[in-house]
Amino acid sequence: MAIAETRIYMPGAPRPRLRLLEDERWLAFVLLVPTLALLGMFIAYPFVRGILLSVTNARVGVPGEFVGLANFYKIFNDGIFRTSVYNTFVYTGVTTVFKLALGLWLAMLLNRNFRGKAFTRAFILLPFIIPTVLSTFAWKWMFDPTFSVLNWLLYHLGLITGRINWLGDPDLAMISIIIVNIWRGVPFFAISLLAGLQTISPELSEAAAIDGAKPLQRFWYITWPLLLPVTMVVVLFSVIQTFADFQIVYVMTGGGPANATHLFATYAYQIGIGTGILSEGAAISLAMFPVLFLVVIIQLLYIRRVEVR
Amino acid sequence: MIEGARWRKWVFFYVPMALFLLFLLFPFYWMVITSVRPDGELYRPWNSINYNPFWTWKPTWDHVRYLFEETLFASWLWNTTFIATLSTAISLVCGVFAGYALSRLNFPFAGSLGTAIFITYLVPQTLLFIPLAEIIRNYRLGDTPWSLILTYPTFLIPFCTWLMMGYFKAVPKELEECARIDGASRWQAMLYIVIPVAIPGILSAGIFAFTLSWNEFIYALVFLSSPQQKTVPVGVTSELIRGDVFFWGPLMAGALLGSIPVAIAYSFFVEHYVAGLTGSVKG
Amino acid sequence: MTTVTRRNVLKGGTALAGGMAGILASGRAPAFAQGTTVHWLRWNDFVPASDQLLRKELIPAAEKALGIKINLETVNGNDLQPRVTASVQSGSGPDLIMVFNNQSALYAESVVDLSDLAEEVSNREGGLYKYSRAVTSDGKKFNSMPWTIVGAMNAYRKSWFEEIGVTKFPETWDAYYDAGKKLKAKGRPLGQAVSHSFGDPPTFVYPLMWSYGGKEVEADGKTVAINSKNTVESVKFMTSFYKDTCDEGGLAWDDTSNNRAFLSQTISSTLNGASIYIESLRNPDKYITEKGAQLKTDILHAPLPKGPQGQFGLHTFFSHMLMSYSPNQKAAKDLLRWVHTPANYEKWFISQKGFATPPTAQWENHELWGADAVMDPFKVAGKLGQAPGYAGPAGKKAAEVLTKYIIVDMYAKAIQGASAEDAVKWAEDELKKIYT
Repeated sequence: MAIAETRIYMPGAPRPRLRLLEDERWLAFVLLVPTLALLGMFIAYPFVRGILLSVTNARVGVPGEFVGLANFYKIFNDGIFRTSVYNTFVYTGVTTVFKLALGLWLAMLLNRNFRGKAFTRAFILLPFIIPTVLSTFAWKWMFDPTFSVLNWLLYHLGLITGRINWLGDPDLAMISIIIVNIWRGVPFFAISLLAGLQTISPELSEAAAIDGAKPLQRFWYITWPLLLPVTMVVVLFSVIQTFADFQIVYVMTGGGPANATHLFATYAYQIGIGTGILSEGAAISLAMFPVLFLVVIIQLLYIRRVEVR
Repeated sequence: MIEGARWRKWVFFYVPMALFLLFLLFPFYWMVITSVRPDGELYRPWNSINYNPFWTWKPTWDHVRYLFEETLFASWLWNTTFIATLSTAISLVCGVFAGYALSRLNFPFAGSLGTAIFITYLVPQTLLFIPLAEIIRNYRLGDTPWSLILTYPTFLIPFCTWLMMGYFKAVPKELEECARIDGASRWQAMLYIVIPVAIPGILSAGIFAFTLSWNEFIYALVFLSSPQQKTVPVGVTSELIRGDVFFWGPLMAGALLGSIPVAIAYSFFVEHYVAGLTGSVKG
Repeated sequence: MTTVTRRNVLKGGTALAGGMAGILASGRAPAFAQGTTVHWLRWNDFVPASDQLLRKELIPAAEKALGIKINLETVNGNDLQPRVTASVQSGSGPDLIMVFNNQSALYAESVVDLSDLAEEVSNREGGLYKYSRAVTSDGKKFNSMPWTIVGAMNAYRKSWFEEIGVTKFPETWDAYYDAGKKLKAKGRPLGQAVSHSFGDPPTFVYPLMWSYGGKEVEADGKTVAINSKNTVESVKFMTSFYKDTCDEGGLAWDDTSNNRAFLSQTISSTLNGASIYIESLRNPDKYITEKGAQLKTDILHAPLPKGPQGQFGLHTFFSHMLMSYSPNQKAAKDLLRWVHTPANYEKWFISQKGFATPPTAQWENHELWGADAVMDPFKVAGKLGQAPGYAGPAGKKAAEVLTKYIIVDMYAKAIQGASAEDAVKWAEDELKKIYT
């Protein structure tokens, strides 16, 4: 017995408690208890409550009655809901692609040796650190129709002659919020991927270089596969967060102009909190649950496959 | 540099790096300027003559002074630090333990448990705060920092767990086995061998967790009510956006003073991405 | 019995100090357990001096007079609703909460009827305006206690209108349109937000619709009546009005944007509370016109113009709800009664400098109104206002229409290029979902 043997080398006899921890199942249980306790205490009930709300006709202060899937039926026939579905997918898709591409690129740059490395690495995190509400106000001002510093810049660079109505035009408003989300998200991608890059031994790459591999090949055949597990987790979480993003749109456009930029979360908020129809708000925010669930399952399966390989 | 030639370094490193810095830090420059700009210069339309948005000749400390003298900014800063630090610590402990268990131990339902932890992350926060408010009331946590310290981990743990699972999986099994042959218990092997190797991962999970608790808004808004208990994001928006007037200078000063210390703190940690790895195994 | 003695002393002290002998003489000696704390949640007032007054003077005085502790919390106006929702659902939270417009109808099941207090104030102060009643009461129950009205008036540049030959603010929409066209040609457009923001956008589009004879619902509160020739006409007018006279940034504006645009002198007229003018008074040297004069000397106020079917106004309304989950209802109500006492309310009213119009008629005669002619138009904001939901009641459904920005979006859609008929049809469909 391996355990019996190891005991001989232990400084002093292990207490019984520790011996119990030699059993994988007990150790796993002990290690998981804090997490399960916290999540069980604070998430389980609200989660169930949220689902129950969505199948009633509850309003604020009125418990309501069971109405089955009527809320879901109602929202699927709602034009604004369909717009917000479309917007959410565009928003999540576009921002994730950019965040991943730019984040990876930035991580590769940061992975080099240069002067002021620590400083740079920390300060590029600023967009991620600064409270989103406040930075979004700063962006809102930069996009302000009357005061836009971006218009000033573009004008003085000779790129435009009149002003750009950043948040007033439906398409530009969407682009504006996408820019802000990318700005906020890139640092996190970069720093997480940088941590991943650090675990990859430079010798591997150097060996390949000596064998005559071009930088792009080295990236594709050595760096990328090793980076994939971390990348997948980061992308997965980013997708979920972006899907449920709220602050940026709420502050910048409030879902306007004329509902052109509503996302799931902002629309759910407007109906659930603004108008007080909690049941419908819950239904809207849960309508994305199956979709997210599917995305998560597929990605998780993929992560496992990647790791097994 | 293996690539050698100087121009290549410019094209592949300096220029892209500069563009990144410009994109990521420009809004901060803008906030810095705004927070020292005298009010008189603030309301200039973008196309007015002699307007230079990037500079001010009459910088002022009035806004910063206002922030500290007329608002409770110092207490908010302290509250936010306290809350973010504790909730990060809780999430890290939970995340590291759970991540270790789920990735390196064999026990029944490991896979589905991992997925279940993940699923809790899918619940959208925009409405979650309503039933959560009931729980906070039942536990009598309302208007105390604990209402946030205990609820923030609910959205931090899933990510920390999964990120740690990724890092733990990368640590070769042999390493742990060696230690155990040398006489370490499972617990010790985890604590002294596996976890130190995963320090970069822990740091990055920590940075993630700290940052999200640092700038969380809706829970802080709903669960705290005394002005002196509030956090930076809620306090600043509650005091400096009044009806249809923004106090831009103090608002931006508040945003900056609430994030630059964190960035400086991070600059010490970030180095450990490297330091944590020295002497460790290759992938 | 040390507590009683102390209270008696305090009682005497306050009675001497302020004009609150009246309430105390009514015989309601403070009878609260020691340590009763009333939590009062308000928006952070646009006029910081008013919040200072509350914190430094009125609250301590009320604490003394009523023998309670008061926790006054102020948050950003947009953040009141999530607080109300979370408090109601969890059954705990602030005892008194401020809400906007007719929002208290949304929370009717969770508030205490304040009819007695409202009628008491109404009888004492020359009657609550019809408008005040319409937005806070359903005819049987006062869901909230009317606090104040922030009048929406056009702030405009006297000299700029004079330069195009308009010496008196246009009285009809068509005249306003002509003036705006000339002003925009000179690079001085009008400004109007048509976005998802609770203040400026509704206060403009609702009166515009009414003045053309449009209405969202019949008086029965069930029959959706928006799809009429009148509404379509108002939408058509808005489309060309917006294009030809307004700053096109307005679709992205929130309640703060027109203040900034006006103060930075890029627009010549905008519908707003008095906050622009008050800001120019507060910092006279910060805002200087192109002619070198102080901006405050060049601002006047006027109500929205008349349409073919009359002249209307919608003003942002503020009221306080007394929550039914509150364990301190009596203390909270006493606090509310205390601040509504004329002597106390007057202090607050004066600190607002005319930004806020009280909900009862008697205050029209207050000397504050004579002090500054520029502020005079706000005096009658409450009298002229019409409640959202017209011609139906301003209750829950009307609040739903308002908080979903349906009327605002109807105009925004047309401005963005939808035909007037389509925009109205869209609004009709949305309204039908709510009213039927």
